[in-house]
Amino acid sequence: MTVAEAAGKIEGTVVVCAAEAAAREVRGGYASDLLSDVMGNSREGDLWVTLQKHINIVAVAQLNGLAGIVLVNGRRPEPDTAARAEEEHIPIISTELPTFDVVGILHDLGIRGRRLA
Amino acid sequence: MFVIDTHLHTCLSPCAELDMHPSALVEAAIRAGLDAVAVCDHNSAENAGAVARAGRAAGLAVIPGMEITSAEEVHILGLMPDMEAALALQSRIYRALPGRNDERAFGMQVIVNEQAEVLGFNEHLLAGATTLEVDRVVDEIHNADGLAVASHVDREGFGIIGQLGMIPPGLPLDALEISWRTPLSEARERFVPRDEFPLVCSSDAHEPKDVGRGATWAFVEEPTVAELGLAFRGQNGRRILGGGRPMEDLALHILDITQNSIEVGATEIEIELQEDPAADRLVIEIRDNGPGMDRETLSRVTDPFFTTRKTRRVGMGLPLLSEAARAAGGGLEIESAPGLGSRVRAVFRHHHIDRAPVGDIETTLMVLLASRPDLAIRFKHAVGGETFELDSRELRTAGIDPATPDGLAALREIIRRGEAALMRTS
Repeated sequence: MTVAEAAGKIEGTVVVCAAEAAAREVRGGYASDLLSDVMGNSREGDLWVTLQKHINIVAVAQLNGLAGIVLVNGRRPEPDTAARAEEEHIPIISTELPTFDVVGILHDLGIRGRRLA
Repeated sequence: MFVIDTHLHTCLSPCAELDMHPSALVEAAIRAGLDAVAVCDHNSAENAGAVARAGRAAGLAVIPGMEITSAEEVHILGLMPDMEAALALQSRIYRALPGRNDERAFGMQVIVNEQAEVLGFNEHLLAGATTLEVDRVVDEIHNADGLAVASHVDREGFGIIGQLGMIPPGLPLDALEISWRTPLSEARERFVPRDEFPLVCSSDAHEPKDVGRGATWAFVEEPTVAELGLAFRGQNGRRILGGGRPMEDLALHILDITQNSIEVGATEIEIELQEDPAADRLVIEIRDNGPGMDRETLSRVTDPFFTTRKTRRVGMGLPLLSEAARAAGGGLEIESAPGLGSRVRAVFRHHHIDRAPVGDIETTLMVLLASRPDLAIRFKHAVGGETFELDSRELRTAGIDPATPDGLAALREIIRRGEAALMRTS
């Protein structure tokens, strides 16, 4: 599933980097609002579900090679976050759904936090 | 009385601009009229010494500090009494700070001297979180004799309330910081309805143009951490009088123009702030019995390059008040003649989108009356048909002396009640 397809499933809109979202494959998922935790535990290709919208989320996504970021509860990226994500080619999805429902839907579709070796 | 911006970053912070080097920062602080600044880079104090040296040469007091990220990703400022204490705290923090910086992801962490020469790059992951929980961070700051201030409590990301949902009961913070996003009067109601903590306003500047965008007025003997600690606790007559956004808040424009009058020797000053939302008008009028100005001076006072002041200033003086009034569909008028005092009148359209917010009248009055209790200052704030009036001579008659701690506390109560009643009825 691509990031753009995932956006459709979780009632979300790709608000930054639509082209990358259409091309990038989601290989797993991670949900957390602590950046240090995401830095330590997310893996390349993960779609990251969070409510943080400040600029450091882009740095973390880039650092770990994440597939994209999902902002829950109707949150939108701050302007400098969006600009930086555009530069770094990190797709951002905004959805009205809360984290619980976003993760539930993605999990039902076969996206996992744990990957088989 | 000292005007302090307690939260500046330098080019050491990965998110700050490279032109935020010590001498640029000091120059910006002096231009903004600050007496003192605190340098608080993320999880490091390595550029604070260079800023202190640059500040010493230019007459700016510099408090070394750091902005520590707790394990819960809460930002806490540690304001330290001297470099030695700052470096002691830094070594404790480095020990609890995992990871190496990735310049491409987070930015460069440049260590510089006061000549802006690059000495090296800090390798720690300064943008990361320490393994210390917030109460441990506060303890570490206190153990190194510093003051612990919760950063930008009005911001969701990295603010203590945003991250933890509340200020944990019993957490021994010395003060809370409000960013320039929130007017002080609003912040007081939202965060400290029962005066739980003193509030400071600061810029959290990451580039020179933002230095002094937020500032705190501290009634202290000198701008040191020891004195600030007394002011936070309200001891020995020291007190935080208020704060705000000197470039924006009309209340701080009023303070600035009035201080102008006092500096040229006025002893009687009348300040009127008339808000008439129904008529879409807001008028500021300041009258003084100072020496007045001749025609030539009068024609030049709104020129931004003209000043009669010998000391530094906060706020923008007449040129920027004029600019602010014009931007809000109004204008500035000055009447003055030698020996006849001056009258400054700024008119704004109340509902104009570019009309600056009034800001915190309490700060203006506290600073004026605490610093010059000997002057005759009359203040009148009218909103619609309601008014709040304060006369320093009547205060004296009533036995309230702003030169004493009790008098200052009583004064603050009067202002607070008066302004609150005005806001309720309007």
